[in-house]
Amino acid sequence: MKLDAATSAGDIPEGLIEPSLYVGKVTPGSLDDQVLAFPETKPPRQWYFALAITLTAALIGVISIGYTFYLGIGAWGNTSPVFWAFDIINFVFWVGIGHAGTLISAILFLFRKRWRNAIARFAEAMTIFAVICAVIFPLIHVGRPWLAYWLFPYPNQRALWTNFRSPLLWDVFAVNTYFSVSAMFWYLGLIPDIASMRDRTTSKLRKIIYTVLAMGWRGAATHWQHYEKAYLLLAGLATGLVLSVHSVVSFDFATSVVPGWHMTIFPPYFVAGAIFAGFAMVVMVLVVVRETMQLKNLITMRHLDVMNKVILAMSCIMGYSYMMEGFTAWYSMNEYLHHAFMNIITGTYGWAGWVTISCNILIPQILWFKKARASYFWMILVAVGVTIGMWFERFVIIVISLHQDYLPSAWRIYKPTMVDFGVLLGTFGIFFTLVLLFARVLPVIATTEVKAILPDAQPSHHGDDHHA
Amino acid sequence: MKTRLPEHGPVETPRFWRTLEERIETPEARQAAHDEFLPGGVPSGINYDDVHGLPPQSGVSRRDFLGLVSAAAALAATVACDRKGQGTVVPYTKRPVEVVPGVANYYASAHQEGRRVYPVLVKTREGRPIHLTGNDEHPGVKGKTSPRTMADVLRLYDPDRLRAPKSEGWVVGWPEAESRLHAALKGAKGAGKPVLLISGAVASPSRKALLAEFKAALPTLEHLAYEPVAGDAAEEAAKASFGQPVYLQPRLAKAKVILSLGADFLNGEDPEALGAWGAQRRLKNAHDPINRLWVLEGPLTLTGTNADQRFPVTPSRLGAAAFALAKELAAKGLPLPAGSDLSALSTGVPQGVDIPAKAWTSLVKDLRAAGRNAVVLCGAQMPAEAHQAAHLLNAMLGSEAVAAVPAEPLATVKDLEAAAQKMASGAYAAAIFWDVNPAYTFPQAAAWKAAVAKVPFRAWIGQVEDETAAQCQVLLPESHWLESWGDFSTPTAAVLQQPAIGTLYETRQGEEVLLDALKALGAAVPEAYHAYLQARWKKELPLGTSFEQALHDGLVKVEAKASSPAFKGASVAAAAKRAAESKAEGLELVLFPGFATHDGRHANNSWLQETPDPISKMTWDNPVALSVQDAKALGVDEGDLVTLSLDGVTLRLPAVIQPGQAKGVLALALGYGRTTGGVAKGVGVDAFPLLGLDPTAPNVRKGVRLAKAGGRKELSRTQSHHRMEGRDLVRSLTMDEFAHNPQGHHHTPELVTLYEEQRFPDHKWGMVIDLAACVGCSACIVACQSENNVPVVGPEQVARGREMHWIRIDRYYEGELENPKVVHQPMLCQHCDNAPCENVCPVNATNHSPEGLNQMAYNRCVGTRYCANNCPYKVRRFNFLEYTAYKTEPETLAYNPEVTVRPRGVMEKCSFCVQRINDVKIRAKGDGRAILDGEITTACMAGCPSDAIVFGDLKDPKSKVSQLVAATRAYRVLEELGVKPAITYLADLKNPALEGGHHEA
Repeated sequence: MKLDAATSAGDIPEGLIEPSLYVGKVTPGSLDDQVLAFPETKPPRQWYFALAITLTAALIGVISIGYTFYLGIGAWGNTSPVFWAFDIINFVFWVGIGHAGTLISAILFLFRKRWRNAIARFAEAMTIFAVICAVIFPLIHVGRPWLAYWLFPYPNQRALWTNFRSPLLWDVFAVNTYFSVSAMFWYLGLIPDIASMRDRTTSKLRKIIYTVLAMGWRGAATHWQHYEKAYLLLAGLATGLVLSVHSVVSFDFATSVVPGWHMTIFPPYFVAGAIFAGFAMVVMVLVVVRETMQLKNLITMRHLDVMNKVILAMSCIMGYSYMMEGFTAWYSMNEYLHHAFMNIITGTYGWAGWVTISCNILIPQILWFKKARASYFWMILVAVGVTIGMWFERFVIIVISLHQDYLPSAWRIYKPTMVDFGVLLGTFGIFFTLVLLFARVLPVIATTEVKAILPDAQPSHHGDDHHA
Repeated sequence: MKTRLPEHGPVETPRFWRTLEERIETPEARQAAHDEFLPGGVPSGINYDDVHGLPPQSGVSRRDFLGLVSAAAALAATVACDRKGQGTVVPYTKRPVEVVPGVANYYASAHQEGRRVYPVLVKTREGRPIHLTGNDEHPGVKGKTSPRTMADVLRLYDPDRLRAPKSEGWVVGWPEAESRLHAALKGAKGAGKPVLLISGAVASPSRKALLAEFKAALPTLEHLAYEPVAGDAAEEAAKASFGQPVYLQPRLAKAKVILSLGADFLNGEDPEALGAWGAQRRLKNAHDPINRLWVLEGPLTLTGTNADQRFPVTPSRLGAAAFALAKELAAKGLPLPAGSDLSALSTGVPQGVDIPAKAWTSLVKDLRAAGRNAVVLCGAQMPAEAHQAAHLLNAMLGSEAVAAVPAEPLATVKDLEAAAQKMASGAYAAAIFWDVNPAYTFPQAAAWKAAVAKVPFRAWIGQVEDETAAQCQVLLPESHWLESWGDFSTPTAAVLQQPAIGTLYETRQGEEVLLDALKALGAAVPEAYHAYLQARWKKELPLGTSFEQALHDGLVKVEAKASSPAFKGASVAAAAKRAAESKAEGLELVLFPGFATHDGRHANNSWLQETPDPISKMTWDNPVALSVQDAKALGVDEGDLVTLSLDGVTLRLPAVIQPGQAKGVLALALGYGRTTGGVAKGVGVDAFPLLGLDPTAPNVRKGVRLAKAGGRKELSRTQSHHRMEGRDLVRSLTMDEFAHNPQGHHHTPELVTLYEEQRFPDHKWGMVIDLAACVGCSACIVACQSENNVPVVGPEQVARGREMHWIRIDRYYEGELENPKVVHQPMLCQHCDNAPCENVCPVNATNHSPEGLNQMAYNRCVGTRYCANNCPYKVRRFNFLEYTAYKTEPETLAYNPEVTVRPRGVMEKCSFCVQRINDVKIRAKGDGRAILDGEITTACMAGCPSDAIVFGDLKDPKSKVSQLVAATRAYRVLEELGVKPAITYLADLKNPALEGGHHEA
């Protein structure tokens, strides 16, 4: 793949606008026509085809979950001592996928990274969908799912209370907070665009829906003022969550006594891994989106290049973390920890360990090359690799650590069942179904934010606050 | 209208008054009027309830009364809500005098398996037997029994039991079924044709007397007492050595040196031997006397795993080895019995016996030194010459540690073969099969079937329709032993068996069938066997003992008879010659009774099927075990399907590799591959067709061919990793180490904590497990299963690691695979004070009691399984599937009503038998006294035949458990994690004669 001709708008002062964040002539009007008109058009046949596939996958997931409810957790491969397996692997995996969205929309916003503007909307949407996929697992993985609400500390006549010492309870709060803040943040950003769509649409039904969703947005200066404040506040809130959610998820492991789990490096390591996996997923989806939705001029190779760089940086952090794990195992002189680490590279599941290391550490190193960062082939290869690798990393952490812990008499090999794969497939189905639906009904690019980096937007703003 | 009267002002004389006291204004009445609407109503002292700031109550206030009534009504309504619609609860209209709902009753009874008798105590609740332990009054078993006996309570509730007589496949009444039997017997008597009766071993004097009467009434009766796995070779050898059948009862209390020739006397079958073993192994000090166990054996047995010195020897060479020992001892000056001739053997270690010379001399020296305190025991399955050599050695040593008790003869496989031939010739007019299953256990099933078909009338007496029942016309359902009367003679006591429950179905015990038959044949006998038994006993009871007292105790102690038959020296020459000539040819297959199934009679018992074999840890299957060397040579891996063939019989079955098994030896359990029974059907393969017809060595078959059959089978094993990986989990000390450095290089870690120490105000329950006494017999597993309603999950789930046992026995191999050192470690919830499971439960379903118990609130558990992940001992069990709800009567009758039955999705684990703790606490409180040390027994502790488990209060410094915790051998598993387990282990002890013990082989 060739790098697209990166020609930026020539009339923007040097240093104010980064080059190549869009291609060709883009005006607010053309942007609206390109992005906001899209949901008005009839979906192509490929879209229906893709939706059929993802819905089938989702249906398989629903059937698998239904079967699990009918039979019990025994429908899965979970056993003693591997009491958690695909359920928690998938949970951590999907929570991780969500992190890219929040990072892009919140942290990069605070850092005024303008390249985020075009991709933030999509990344945020993926966050929401990934967290939806993630929260399925805590609900279905308990032995008695009809009692899962007991994990919430609600007042009841039995005077039963939850155990706030349990990291699982922290999870409940962390994930719920994360989901609600992310959803609010995303929705807030959508409001001006929805209002634009309301104004553009000719369909009566759409008009009603968009009117309700736009919450009376008229684009007044006071609206913008409040909007900006709220957006900034939520960005600040979400920034903390990027770090906290996966840190809390990692506490499930780090605070336990299981060798291979009980590590102080886990919180930062988990956060880096989550961003890593999330960016890979965003790259994968954006490449498809820019090709199929004719958004090459707005999601440019420059965007992909920057994201690939983030992936590369995260890959290096992951490499460091893996090495630290090994170092800790060696330096601690703890035979159990040592055994747990050696299991990753030489044990029964050693192949999973090597898949993890290859996909997460070795393959992404290709991104040091500019050509690779500009090549669909390499970036998709890396992104798919990282997605697989990060799933296996959770497999390594959860299954390998659990299957051989303290007493060798209890050691046992874990084998997943078809139902396990069905549920995993199902979450991918649900995720991509939501992505497909989102791409059809809502603006995939935050037009208001992209307008802010267009030359037309510049004269009306002062200093370096070019936003909105 | 509300008016507030001044409380302390002058009160006018009321115009209206309620009581005379009020009218005349006594202070009490004024106070009462004031207090009327306060809780308590009745005024009294000035103490105030510290919680509510309310006056204390002498009695129940109206408000409290109403509260209680409504609470009771709410509770009653809740209890009455029959969520699952499982019938109506009806109270007794006439309550049996001895039955108090909620209070257990105990009855003494007895169980027989082969020649062995187990005096037991039956725990019944509301009339249902639910749990068995040994009878503690019996001087031999001392309150202990075997795993299979404990599990046999489940057989009472086996839904497959035949519930009414059948004739030609049709359910009929008893009169009709018996009239057919009587007609056949009368016909046979009239025609003078023989009648065949095959029963199990006769250990009961009353049954023996009854059989004698039967024989007198029906002179053509031929009776065979048939025990398919009792060991024909042992029987033949005893007849040769002593001139009569004997039952060799080890007296291990007197043994200082034990030599086992493939004898598995520690396999849980013999509680007396295990008790004596435990007593000699639970050492406080290194200078306490300890016995020494030498084991020469082919397959690795539980006894072999407990050996101080073990050498793998092919069974066919055991005789030679033992006779060579005798020759050596004779050379060292031990007198040979008159007429003994050992000239067939050369001196020294015989060929084909892989024992180093140093060990050999050491063994000879050991035996010589111990003299009458040495004993040689031979495994029932070993060839007859090995038995005879053992008899000779015991005679030479003058061993006091084994008693030869004259016993009723048992039919060998040869007798069965003769009977089959006679049946085939059409000689018998009738055949009765009483509690035996020769159609399954006789090696040549097809020939047997053809022969049986030639008998015009076949009757079957038994519990669950089996292979033999399928060949009979009249089926008479037999009562379970817990529904029957009986008596047994044991060396130290005459034991009584009494029913602990009325018959569940239209069943009768076999003796009553015989009584009816006797009556039909014209003999004058009592109506019921109970009366028959009582009449006999009243005649024989010692003075001053009533039958009722004997029934209560379950036994009457008798003086052990000293006279035992003398050893015949003349039998030696032939046996020694056979032993010298016996060579290993090709692969040698040892057929041994299944740990769970015995001869197949327990195959329908799911508790036993799921109890892991103590060595291989296999459940629900009988794979063939190969030695490490043979497996390597044949390229066989664990789980590979192989074919075993011999004399035209070919079996296809999975293989396991058994460390420690002698090269060239295969081992296979009998009692599997049944074709009938809801549980038993299709579990494992039937190995009886491989059994030989030579009664001197039917269980040892030479020249077996083993080939890979292609394909694999997933093994339903509860343990798949067998090495300890150098971890400090099971500590094992030699006596030398015990004397000098019992803690070894291990140091107790200094545990630092930021948290406050937990305090236990009243009790702190703890347990000590002595690994030196634990042999790994798994009795605790069965006891726990029965006590705590532990569900059975089936072979597929076990293969996935989902077995539910609250206590398991970890078995590790150490050292070289050809002859490893083996250790056993019971592993159960450690009730850690800093339990890692407790703090991770998001809903507080598992928490710590003020008495140090790690407890589970099943109702609260949502099943996140986090606790199990965080348990370093992996003793938590999760109900991955619904294991209990589908159960119906009669299976549910076996449940212990004191223990909740857990549904799907709930975590469970050992509770330290909290129901037993509470039971004792309540009783002690009722009596107004403190709990006595040893009064609380957990099921595993009560079931442990070697007394390896001690439970008690760690707060009481004088308790046994507190003292043991401070012992020099004491350590805690994974103590370095800081979890503070409440279970202390005492290091295993080995007493090797040679330096290095096992490894010096």
